[in-house]
This record gives sequence, C-alpha cells and structure tokens, in this order.
Amino acid sequence: MSLQSALERLATYRANNTRTSQDIFRNGLLVLQKGSFKKLGDDGKPFRWTSLEQLALASVDVGRLDIADQCLQLIADKFPNSPRVDCLVGIRMEATEPPETALKYYADILEADSANVAIWKRRISVLRRTGKVEKAVNELLQLLDTFYTDVEGWLELADIYASCNQYDHSFQALSHVLLLTPQNPFYVLQAAETAYTSEDFFLAIKMFLTVVDMTDADDSEQLLQESTPLGITVRAWFGVKLCARRIAQNANMKSLSNTSAPKNLELLDELATERLRVAYSSSGQKGEIAKGRQEVFAWVATPLA
Amino acid sequence: MIGKLFLTLATLALLHAAYSTYEHLSLLKALGKPEGSLPLDIVYESILALILGLLGASLNAPPLKDITWASEMKKRTIDGMDSRLGFAHYRSRGKFLFASPHDGKI
Repeated sequence: MSLQSALERLATYRANNTRTSQDIFRNGLLVLQKGSFKKLGDDGKPFRWTSLEQLALASVDVGRLDIADQCLQLIADKFPNSPRVDCLVGIRMEATEPPETALKYYADILEADSANVAIWKRRISVLRRTGKVEKAVNELLQLLDTFYTDVEGWLELADIYASCNQYDHSFQALSHVLLLTPQNPFYVLQAAETAYTSEDFFLAIKMFLTVVDMTDADDSEQLLQESTPLGITVRAWFGVKLCARRIAQNANMKSLSNTSAPKNLELLDELATERLRVAYSSSGQKGEIAKGRQEVFAWVATPLA
Repeated sequence: MIGKLFLTLATLALLHAAYSTYEHLSLLKALGKPEGSLPLDIVYESILALILGLLGASLNAPPLKDITWASEMKKRTIDGMDSRLGFAHYRSRGKFLFASPHDGKI
C-alpha cells in the first residue's frame, strides 16, 4: 500500500462522508509516517492536512489518543488561530474530559463568535449525548432557523425525533431535507420508511415507488427482464410489498396526509413480488445463491389479504 | 500496454524526425543553399508519428466513468448519506472494540 493509494482512499472516504474509522486509521497512519509533515512549506499538497485531520478524528474514534494528540499537535503548529483547529481540540476534549468541561469550552468560543456552526453542532451533539434531548432540540431548531440549508442539521433533527418515537415531526424534518436535496434517493427512502412507521401507508407506498423510479430509471435501453434491482432499490421494493399488504388488510384506511389510495394495488404487489424474486435470483460473484433467498421467496409467495 | 507502446514509438519517431531535420538544415547550410525543401521521408515520418501518437493517447486513456446521477448514487451507501459527521459522538464503544490486546492502552 503506497502513499498515493492511501491518500486516494482517504479522499474517497472524505467525498463519501463515511465513518469507517478503522480503515481510515490504517491508511492515515501510513500518511503520517511517510507524509513528511515536518518539512516546512508543504503547501503544494493541502489535501495532506485534511488527511491528517481525518486521521485525528479516526484515532479518537478507535481509541488511539496518542496518535490523535500527535496529529493535533502537527495541525495546530501549522494553522495557529484556526476555528477548525478549535473544533478538533474540542472533539479531543470530549473524548476524555467530562461533558461539562467540553460544554464550557464551546460556550466560550460561541460567546466570541456566535455563528460558528461547527462548534454549535458539537455543542448540540454533547447535549444529545448526555441526555439533555430537549435542550439539544431547541438549540438545533435555533441553528436551523439561522442556517436553513444545513442538510446535516435537518437529518439530525429527524433522527432525534425518530429516537423519541415522534415520527410525524421526524417526517416534517425530512420533508425539509427533501426540499433541499430533491435528487437524493436515500433521503426519499428514509422519508418513506418514516411514513410507514407513522402508519401513513398511502404516502409510504408512493414514496417507495419514487425511490424505485429514481434509482432504476436508467435501464430504458435494456429489457425489463434483464435488469436486476440492486442496492436501495431492493429495500424500496420490500417497502412497497409491506405497504401493499397493510393497505389490503384494512379496507377503510385513511391517510393523515390526505394522500389518495394507490390504484391497482394487486398489480403493484405482483410487480414487487416479481422484482424481489429477480433481485434474489441473480447469482453472486462465485455463482453463489443470495443469502436468505428461500425466506424471501416464501414470504413474497403468501397472498395479499 | 499497446497504447504506451504506440506513444513511445511516436515520441521516438518525432524526435528522430526533428533531429533529421536539424541535420538536413545544417547540411544545406554547409553546402551553401539554405533554401532547400525538406526531404519527403522526414515529412512522412512526422505524419506517422502524429498518427501513432493519436492512437497511443486514445488507447492509453483511463476507463470511462458514468456521468448520470443515478450511477453515482449506486456507489453510495446509506451509512455514508446518514453519517451526520458534524454531530458525530466521539465517546463511543470504539476504543473498547478496536484497541488491540497487545496495545496495553485503552
């Protein structure tokens, strides 16, 4: 594993916002050892510093606080008065100190500059972690009032509400996410599943079908029989099947959001059954059968009502 | 592989044609008639170098990537989209799960 491939791997993780701390730690350690951070004037390669920041966070996650301190020292030396460094120092403090110390540190910084979004988010995170959920929600609502386009904030709000079983409010937060990022099928899927959990099956089935439309629509050149649903499309078809079952069981269902009932429910159910069968029939990499295929086939074969 | 081979050949052919032109021009200068035209084989060599270079560069190009949004979304995961790294908790079970037994550190 060379320095170049390690840097590329880290860049992919940064672009995809994943939190695979173990792998980042391994690759980042290589960058730390070979990356020649001690040499001055390494400004031609700014992404090495972002990789170092990534390594610092991953080492806090994995528990290697010695490496985290080393990285923090290097970054703080290079960028003396940076708010980003303040955030990293705060995170390091959160890992070992009691939460009151971290909250006080954040409160000091927010007094000096009340619009520091990163620090505000850390504060809300500490409040949520220590169980002060109401306070966290109020602060988060203030943050979202000020910075409406912060998708991460709306997603966090939806998650907090969902963890307190308030699925209607969670769905409302997700609707703001959908306004901000209308092209993202993952958030539509999350909204569909939240609608399903709050028993609004008409809305849920509509949104599941939207996810299928978004993720599977570029197969127009191929015949329908040849395309296999993959990834979240399978999850969406499962959702369609579940919703179809619940709608068929209850003849006078009302939708809280006044969505109209789907027409051709039996046809939708048949289509979902066929798609799931195709998804679980394709052979894997070594010709192996998909896991759970028998269970899925048995489940989709049971009749609708 | 073939692309790199063609590119190398094309570069060599071009350098050879350039050197031949230089030699030819110095010969003409030595003979005292600096207005002579370039011999045809040097011209053909340069054109060959151009064609080989074009072929080599096209074959050497990295594989094509998808440009549709749906194809990009196929590569992402739910964990990546829902990670909310700004709000992540850094006081987790990670330090107990990932500390190696030989570390002696927790």
